[in-house]
Amino acid sequence: MNLRNFILGLAASFGAAWLAVVVVPFFKMRSLEPLPLAEPVGTSTVFHPKRTGRIANGADVYAANGCALCHTQVVRPTYAGNDLYRADWGGLKDDADRGDTRRETNAYDFEGETFAQIGSTRLGPDLSNLGRRVEAAHASFAEATRWLYLHLYDPKLDSTRWDSQCPPHRFLFEEREVRGQPSPDALPVAASEGKQVVPAADARALISYLLSLRKDHPLPAALDFTPAKPAAAE
Amino acid sequence: MSSVTPATPVQDALLRAEIDRSLRHPVMFFLTSGAAWLAVSILLGVIASTKTHHPEFLADVSWLTYGRVFPAHMNALIYGWGMQAAFAGIIWLMARLSRKPCTAAGTILTAGHVWNLGVSLGILGILAGHGTGMPWLDFPAFAWPVLLAAYSAIVVWSFIQFRVRPEGHVFISQWYLLAAMLWFPWIYITANTLLHCLPGHPLMAAGIIAWFRSAFLFLFFAPVALAAAYYLAPKVTGRPVFSYALARVGFWSLAVIAPWAGLQKLAGVPVPYFLPYLGAAAAALLFVPAAAAAVNTLRTMASSPDTLAASPSLRFAAAGMGGLLVLGLASLLLNLPGSTLRITQFTLSGYGFDILGLYGCFTLVMFGLAYFIVPRVTRREWLSARLISMHFLFSVYGTIFVALVALFGGLLQGSGQESWQQPWSAASAFSRPYAVAITLSWSLILFSNLFFFLHLALMWLGLGRQSSHPTLLPVSHESASPHGSEDVAQPAAAR
Repeated sequence: MNLRNFILGLAASFGAAWLAVVVVPFFKMRSLEPLPLAEPVGTSTVFHPKRTGRIANGADVYAANGCALCHTQVVRPTYAGNDLYRADWGGLKDDADRGDTRRETNAYDFEGETFAQIGSTRLGPDLSNLGRRVEAAHASFAEATRWLYLHLYDPKLDSTRWDSQCPPHRFLFEEREVRGQPSPDALPVAASEGKQVVPAADARALISYLLSLRKDHPLPAALDFTPAKPAAAE
Repeated sequence: MSSVTPATPVQDALLRAEIDRSLRHPVMFFLTSGAAWLAVSILLGVIASTKTHHPEFLADVSWLTYGRVFPAHMNALIYGWGMQAAFAGIIWLMARLSRKPCTAAGTILTAGHVWNLGVSLGILGILAGHGTGMPWLDFPAFAWPVLLAAYSAIVVWSFIQFRVRPEGHVFISQWYLLAAMLWFPWIYITANTLLHCLPGHPLMAAGIIAWFRSAFLFLFFAPVALAAAYYLAPKVTGRPVFSYALARVGFWSLAVIAPWAGLQKLAGVPVPYFLPYLGAAAAALLFVPAAAAAVNTLRTMASSPDTLAASPSLRFAAAGMGGLLVLGLASLLLNLPGSTLRITQFTLSGYGFDILGLYGCFTLVMFGLAYFIVPRVTRREWLSARLISMHFLFSVYGTIFVALVALFGGLLQGSGQESWQQPWSAASAFSRPYAVAITLSWSLILFSNLFFFLHLALMWLGLGRQSSHPTLLPVSHESASPHGSEDVAQPAAAR
């Protein structure tokens, strides 16, 4: 076999796979078709989940600090794993307003991000629904935000999380002098005389991003795989 | 080895000496700076692994937070050590097998410095908090064109050497080297362009990373390791390769199967449904090329058991080929959709698999090659058989430990994750003892590489033994000849 045929052989064997599993799917997925909604949400009749918060900045902080090494952002369908059965991973089992909202991850969940941090090893819990989960566990959005800041500062400060293996991220916070009223975001932790511990810019972006991770949008029929409820069937 | 032998053995020896001399500085530069990066990488690995079970360890240093140390550890291992060891192997093996001295040592050496600069800035970028968060491509975006340019300036000469070689037989090692030299830029450019230059769907971006990691391992590191093993096995034992037909099957099955693998990591993720299944099928089939090549090289080495026991190069290469066999088996057993894949998808076993490939296969073979090349290019023999055997024992046991613990710890951790009736913390508790074990075994490997680095540095300083006898490992009496261990001489072909 001469060099030319050898290279042609390599190009053919590699090129076929390269086109089929990388290039074509990549360009096919670049623009997803809008999906019609059964009932209009506000004025919109197509599914266009909007996320609010500092998504792009926060996603950068999330990526640069390797959160995805321990936390996934994928709730797999039941054929591929048991993630959906957990009470608050893919939605909430008992949402106060809407009942069971659990669902698998869909292709619209990463709106506003450039790289889906699906994660590699689950040393910590999945974060797909983190924003909604923390919000539901606290009386108000402000309290949920405070709890997340505190968790980021030191996960073991919450006494129910005494065995957490999540590293503290105190370096995302700074000590600042108290001038006048203390900051509403100041953490209830020990600080030097006349100072307070407040989140720095990166921590604010990260928490804003984390709170935007929620699975509570109404779904279009094409993405709704919830089995028909017996009550509805009657 | 070659069917085109120069007129006399003396001319042949002169040609080989000329080739070795022409490559002395590039090869020694890549090996020593690679070994230094290996030590850095393992140190970062020990720190990262310690943090998984003691999160308070060094917690207040932003540069050393787990999420930055771990990617720095992997990228230093891949680009600092792995690629540079591969460069040393590619340029030396291709020059020897094509029987052409290197005429561009200065360019290669300059490009090697650029490569090191790129890797250093990349690692600092990750530690400073500018990593991209894409596994194995964590360097900030400025790094990849620099690395690609340096790569081209380093390997293009080997390609030219192959083109202008004297007519004759093409060795199986050359197939693997040529293919790896072409596959790497293809996958590296594809991944970087699609991730950094063209905005695509975020999930497909994650898919491309999964494909890139698998292709990088199986289409660059594995072929370079195989080229070295297919060179060392017949060369040191003085016996022909066990089966050329099997070698051909191993090569082409790798070329056809490996590019399809990788996307099994996206099982259950909303990308086109066929992708994870294709990936899983290819990952399982990778057992074929891995087993064909590993069996072929191991059978060749086993044809001369005394040499295998005495030669450091062969021992390391044999351990690496054993690692390849386990890698193929793990790829088959851990990626079955519906049974093991759902358990291993998001567990420690992914890390175990990466380390098994990068360290348990590639790195061990590269150590073997280094033990063969360095005496030839420095014209000195290794100082101490004891240092070599310490390096061998700690590397091999450390690797077996780290890879097996992560692979099987991952299976238990995965079963814990799947038990959804249990609280989540129960699943994390499963992984903790394995995380401790991984720290311990990385410490063993770090210890072993201190020996290697010390030994290599002494050789580079010209402090090796001046002797015409190679440094061989002591062989026990049972396997030695009845005349005592001194008679276990390396066959003439190995010199």
